[in-house]
Amino acid sequence: MNDEYTPRIVGFLCNWCSYTGADLAGVSRLKVPPSLRIIRVMCSGRIDPLFVLKAFLKGIDGVMMMGCHPGECHYQKGNYNARRRFILLQKILEAFDLEPERLGIWWVSASEATKYAKVTTEFAKEIEKIGPSPVANEIFL
Amino acid sequence: MRGSVLPIENNLEETILNFIKEAFDKKCIEAVILPKRIPSGDSFAYLLIKDKSILEGASPFPPVIPVQGAKAISSLTRQGSVKKKILAIMHPCEIRATIELFKLKQTTLNNLIFMSYDCPGVLPLSDYLENPDENDQTFLAAQQKWDSKDMRPVCKICTEFSAPASDLHIGQLGTDEGKIFLIPNSSVGKEFLNAFGLNSDVPLDEWEAEVEKLKKERENNKKDAQEKLKTKVEGPENLLETLSSCITCHNCMRVCPVCYCRQCYFDSDAFKFPPDNFISKSEKKGSIRLPSDTLIFHLGRMSHMIHSCVSCGTCEDACPMDIPIAQIFNLVADKTQQVLDYKPGRNIEEPLPTVTYQEEELQEFEKPYSETYIKVEETNV
Repeated sequence: MNDEYTPRIVGFLCNWCSYTGADLAGVSRLKVPPSLRIIRVMCSGRIDPLFVLKAFLKGIDGVMMMGCHPGECHYQKGNYNARRRFILLQKILEAFDLEPERLGIWWVSASEATKYAKVTTEFAKEIEKIGPSPVANEIFL
Repeated sequence: MRGSVLPIENNLEETILNFIKEAFDKKCIEAVILPKRIPSGDSFAYLLIKDKSILEGASPFPPVIPVQGAKAISSLTRQGSVKKKILAIMHPCEIRATIELFKLKQTTLNNLIFMSYDCPGVLPLSDYLENPDENDQTFLAAQQKWDSKDMRPVCKICTEFSAPASDLHIGQLGTDEGKIFLIPNSSVGKEFLNAFGLNSDVPLDEWEAEVEKLKKERENNKKDAQEKLKTKVEGPENLLETLSSCITCHNCMRVCPVCYCRQCYFDSDAFKFPPDNFISKSEKKGSIRLPSDTLIFHLGRMSHMIHSCVSCGTCEDACPMDIPIAQIFNLVADKTQQVLDYKPGRNIEEPLPTVTYQEEELQEFEKPYSETYIKVEETNV
């Protein structure tokens, strides 16, 4: 069973930078991990901490939050809010020892296709190392 | 800190009630909000009192918190601010929650004067109801000795038991027998004392020293209690074991003063799915709990309001399954509030941590992966 394990990763990508960056990576034929499922949001500030928690409790192995670089948000300050929410989440996961390393935040702009390919590949490798989510098979959630 | 000294006549409750009556007479206030024992005798309710005679037998220092004071205040000001001066006497945690509600634009505080006191803690609601008469005595003794062994678990570890952002604070710590301190925290509080002709310039070193001492003691209690709690909630298995007895009554959310949403996200259509959805989920795992949002409810609620959690413990009182929910929230609140450098109810001017930001902050949390990223970049060059 373990040999067949491929992680399932959810990425929340902001429409203006990261999603366009991912698009560029695709157009440039860069290799990105097939384990990543992308959910487009209009801004990283739209990522309710609940979305992330829901993903984790559904048995997702890793979550990536991506947005424009600080100071370059299409909506001026959405990514600053996202950063604070990310830290809130990290602390909640940390408090319960729920493997906060399964969650990360990256700033990827529309032109950074190589960065996008690199961070996603790396994160996928990292998650593969950590192994499958322990809550994936819990039935009393 | 400077304040005034007020001699105690007979007992503390009577002194405060007389003080309020005098405030009525002096036209400092036109109404007062404080708890009074309900006719059946086993609980307390907040009353908005306009008639002085009803003050007789009121309990400014109740042994339990059945309804959080912030809820009382927000119910009063839901449709606009009050036009007449009203004094509200509440536990420090209730005042802190009121300030959070003000920041969340759920209440207005115009013309409201808040009076807090050094809080010895309160008894668990369910314990109290078993034998109110006996527990009244237990509480009275604990109140005099500052002994928190019978108090609620969150009260035992509360470090914010004194002088929040209230207008007037009653200092009971470090006083000689037979007197209390009245400490003004704002210009309104000062005016109040002036109207009484009290000298508000008495140095309060003993009080400050005692408060610091008790704070340290509670700080230590907190450390021990949190270490103990960690063994119960760390790791998914332990956390589930602690929370899976939840019956999803959502009482904790309904009584929480800072959970102000008219409709909770977890009661909304976003958490209702067609039957096929459940069946496909159960197919994957072999089985699925119904209703199936126990852990996500607690963690999700936490992610929405933890930065404003004042650790008042009302949620734990309301839990029919005895889940130590307030202690769990206190543990996480400590961590999150520390990293965001925010204390709920500390200062009314301070913006909520989720609506404000600094351009350069908290970058250390983005580090682990960005560092590895930089390494990869270099090797590629």
